Amino acid sequence: MASNYPSERQRPLSPNMQLYRPQLTSVLSIVNRLTGILLSIAAVALVIWLAAGAAGPQAYAIVKAALASWTGHVILFAFTFAFFLHLLGGIRHLVWDTVHGFELRTIYMSGWTVVAASIVMTIVAWVASFCMGR
Amino acid sequence: MERDDMRAPLARAIGLGSAKDGVQHWWMQRVSAVALVPLTVWFIAAIIAQTGADYTTFVAWLRSPITDILMVLLLIALFHHAALGLQVVIEDYVHSGTRFAAVIVVRLICFAFAVVGILATLRIAASPQII
Amino acid sequence: MFRFEIAQGKASMIIKSSSQVSRNHVFKRFPIPANFGVTKESKIGRGKSWPAPAEATRTRTFEIYRYEPDSERGPHMDTFEVDLDDCGPMVLDALIWIKNKVDSTLTFRRSCREGVCGSCAMNMDGTNWLACTRFITDMENPAKVYPLANMKIIKDLVPDQTHVLAQYAAIEPWLQSRTPVPERERLQSVEERGQLDGYYECILCFCCTSGCPSHWWNGNRFLGPAVLLQAWRWLIESRDDATEERLDKLEDPFRLYRCHTILNCTRTCPKGLNPGKAIAQIKKMMIERQS
Repeated sequence: MASNYPSERQRPLSPNMQLYRPQLTSVLSIVNRLTGILLSIAAVALVIWLAAGAAGPQAYAIVKAALASWTGHVILFAFTFAFFLHLLGGIRHLVWDTVHGFELRTIYMSGWTVVAASIVMTIVAWVASFCMGR
Repeated sequence: MERDDMRAPLARAIGLGSAKDGVQHWWMQRVSAVALVPLTVWFIAAIIAQTGADYTTFVAWLRSPITDILMVLLLIALFHHAALGLQVVIEDYVHSGTRFAAVIVVRLICFAFAVVGILATLRIAASPQII
Repeated sequence: MFRFEIAQGKASMIIKSSSQVSRNHVFKRFPIPANFGVTKESKIGRGKSWPAPAEATRTRTFEIYRYEPDSERGPHMDTFEVDLDDCGPMVLDALIWIKNKVDSTLTFRRSCREGVCGSCAMNMDGTNWLACTRFITDMENPAKVYPLANMKIIKDLVPDQTHVLAQYAAIEPWLQSRTPVPERERLQSVEERGQLDGYYECILCFCCTSGCPSHWWNGNRFLGPAVLLQAWRWLIESRDDATEERLDKLEDPFRLYRCHTILNCTRTCPKGLNPGKAIAQIKKMMIERQS
């Protein structure tokens, strides 16, 4: 074994992420993690929004203007999409924790449902928001 | 993956032994997740309804006791869930001793932001009628 | 194979052919460079291109990972043209054909050639599977054959399994009894035996462990799906009396809880087993003893 001969050169490591095929399983899992991290930032933004509200109308106006800007809208859209992906992905995880839905077919069906439903819900949320704003 | 040492493979696999702990973290992540499902859905619905609202409307909304309670619960569940999740992410990718410092920093920041958020909510809720 | 499916009330998916699992995909690889973030000794270079045999009409190009530990060179990819009329239908047949007819230094593990021993597990076109049950016609052109992902390579397609086997030994995969040895056999009901279905059939090929991203990043401490599937197999073994100790040894933020239900394992198992589900069942058992 290599460990008995320290003078021996290290064995090469076969490629992992550079080679392995992206599958719905791994892609949706990393998306759940990335959306989670993004939502942590959104949580901080929520607190800033509340703190601005507590600080008074001037502070609140600054935050509101930032959110209403074009960049603000893009960020909010990203947050919304991330939120629905993470929410539905999270519910999928909670169902797995009850040891249901582990058959390969179900894994794939639930996975695609999460993606499709997230897109639909994001669009519905933003359309509703526009209607409210009118 | 392995240090260049002379330990037997089995000893390397056993490492420092089982921590005999870990369920609590997993369980609290799930409990906060279950709490967050209705709370975040409420929150999204509420801010959609709030689109374009001015400062007075915003304050009036936060003065309602139900909004108050739900907002505080949301902040607690949200930052608890975030702290646990980020801790797992750090443990996954950071393997040096820095991971301890990183986890402490993340947990304290989450706690701090939760407190700020709750205090801001309560402040708005308790503020005297103005304007 | 006589299995207690009816007693269990559910069908275990012991697949017989790789055609039973979908091979649809959008992306072949993550959009990162082929040698991204690898150590100096793991960088894959370009290798030799062997010519097609003169009289071959139907050929398929195979790009195969090569590494010779006794040479100065690092790993590289060799390209072979395989005469499909001269070899069997499976990727293992192609490898054997290459070894016999073209380059006898091509090294790989093999034994049963029917998908029951687990020796020829390797990464073909980006997914881990057994070479002897992967049809050549299911492969891309050129077909890319690599060793199992994230393993130290001894030579060519032969990975060093020392660590994963040590992790398997660490879960003590044998019957542990506190009761006196019975006169005859240890009794087990049909239902109890049925609980082992879907777990005892594991051939320890390590396709799942090698495909688990959590094991890539934390393989030194995370046990991985293959070992955890066997850990579950021993947890629900009704004749075993050491359930408490087994659970104590598993309850660790790394050994068990690095599993984030990514489910690459269930996706890639060439026997159709479900390590993801087994791990979920272990986690459920962990919670059940808390409340």
